[in-house]
Amino acid sequence: MAIVLPKFSRRRASPGLVVETQPAVNVTLCHEDGLYCAGGELTARWRISRVPLDEVQGVEISVLWHTEGKGDEDLHVHHFQRLAEQQLRRIGLADEQVVHCVLPKTPLSYHGRLISLQWCVRLRLYLANGRDIVAEQPFHLVSQDMARPHKFTSDRVSIGLTNSN
Amino acid sequence: MFGQPDLLVGLRDVPAGHEQEMRSPRHARPVDFLTVESLSLSGRIRLMPRFPKPWSKKRGKRILGNALAGEAGELAFYASLFLVGVFGFSLVLINEVAPESVSQVPTDALSTGLGAWIFGILSLAAVITGGVTLLYRLARIGASSERRSAIAKMAGTLEVMAPSKEDSQFLPNVPKGSAITESPGERLKYRLATEKANSGIAGSATLALLWSSAWLVLLAVVVSGFWNGRPRWYLAGLLVPFAMISVWSFRFFLTQFRQFAGVGPTIVEIGNHPLVPGGPCELFISQSGRFKLKRISVVLTCEEETFYRQGTDVRVDRHEAIRQVIVKERNVAVDPQAPWEQQLNIDLPDNVMHSFVGTHNAIRWKVVVSGESQPWPSFCRSFPVVVHPPASS
Repeated sequence: MAIVLPKFSRRRASPGLVVETQPAVNVTLCHEDGLYCAGGELTARWRISRVPLDEVQGVEISVLWHTEGKGDEDLHVHHFQRLAEQQLRRIGLADEQVVHCVLPKTPLSYHGRLISLQWCVRLRLYLANGRDIVAEQPFHLVSQDMARPHKFTSDRVSIGLTNSN
Repeated sequence: MFGQPDLLVGLRDVPAGHEQEMRSPRHARPVDFLTVESLSLSGRIRLMPRFPKPWSKKRGKRILGNALAGEAGELAFYASLFLVGVFGFSLVLINEVAPESVSQVPTDALSTGLGAWIFGILSLAAVITGGVTLLYRLARIGASSERRSAIAKMAGTLEVMAPSKEDSQFLPNVPKGSAITESPGERLKYRLATEKANSGIAGSATLALLWSSAWLVLLAVVVSGFWNGRPRWYLAGLLVPFAMISVWSFRFFLTQFRQFAGVGPTIVEIGNHPLVPGGPCELFISQSGRFKLKRISVVLTCEEETFYRQGTDVRVDRHEAIRQVIVKERNVAVDPQAPWEQQLNIDLPDNVMHSFVGTHNAIRWKVVVSGESQPWPSFCRSFPVVVHPPASS
């Protein structure tokens, strides 16, 4: 796995500097294996922590597919939910929230040489300082006949990821 | 139900609408749902101050320069274009409506009617281009790519604009293939349409005809000059190179015509449509003409097609993901009374991707008939088909 880290200054940070805490976003899918049948239901839970409520301006939760690969990106949102500041104040950040939708029959997930089509639950968190943070939980939309996603003539190599558990 | 532990997934601090640029193939997430990627950065990052460039450039998946500065530069450019257009159009209007009020302003370009028209049209084009693009760019600022897509989807579901549920909601992003089912076949149920019409001969014929006409007009002018006793030698000199180009264009037309007339039509008919992975398919192929083929082949292919911008060009790249040879024969004689015909049953491979059409990406299935012959040029004809996912049909 390749991790690109930012270039830090050679100067040592002075002890008086306050270390910024990054917000944490948890997105959990209802299927452990991440496989969803076309036309089936998806339920995902999300929670935002390590950030005070008054620093959050809004949250967008979308269930979408997008393409990756050589070509320009295609993106299509299937389910979209936007929570404004007032709504967030009403529901709070302490509890887990649920997003639920019925998935379409197509397009199915695909990994090819030039094109990869990936489904995901994407959460975009807007902060008061103008920044936004994106968290994604990918999943596979497969036909009912298929136990595993399409994979053929692909020269992609699986990359191992670190597990934070 | 929610068996997964709390996962800190893919935290990335990315400006809205630029996730794709930040994501490189090396960092592409594999097919693993229990894995976690977290990139939590703490501390202060000190960078050398740079002069902000009012443009940004895309190099593959990377963006050089500040994306925000690029957007600001674009906004400034289109705003200037709009304002210049307004100024120019105002000048034209004032000159046309009340010319005495601008008598002290030198308006040589507007003195003639033609100049005023050209100036007015250019100014109006600048106003429209600048205004529309400015509004479009402004609408894109401050909205995430997901939100823009959701708004576009909502606009598409308006009652007036939306097609019926059966048409669009049934299988999103899968081509309907209605053109295939509208054309009945003679042997089987449907006749497939070829991907490219044989329009190459029209272009070469037009070129040959126009260039020959121009050469004849030039010849008439030269002959009339000699006839009147005032020969135009420089025009006479141009006759030779013009004649050479005319001969070349005529020979090019003849080559195209030979290819068009020599290789007869290819007919592909299909028993059922749309196709389904793992399902059977009845196929009829017929090749007419009068020639001997060194080899002929019929294949079923699945092709990935992707469009991308490289600088100011839009490029297309294709990759054949699946190739299933249906028929391959050598030394085939084709006669007008006895065309080469094949009727066969094939099975589509299991676990393959269905047809897909996006804005910049597509997965297309097609039956390709190709042949090599002498003295006629080789030919290759594609007949698109639509493959649906298994459970939908």
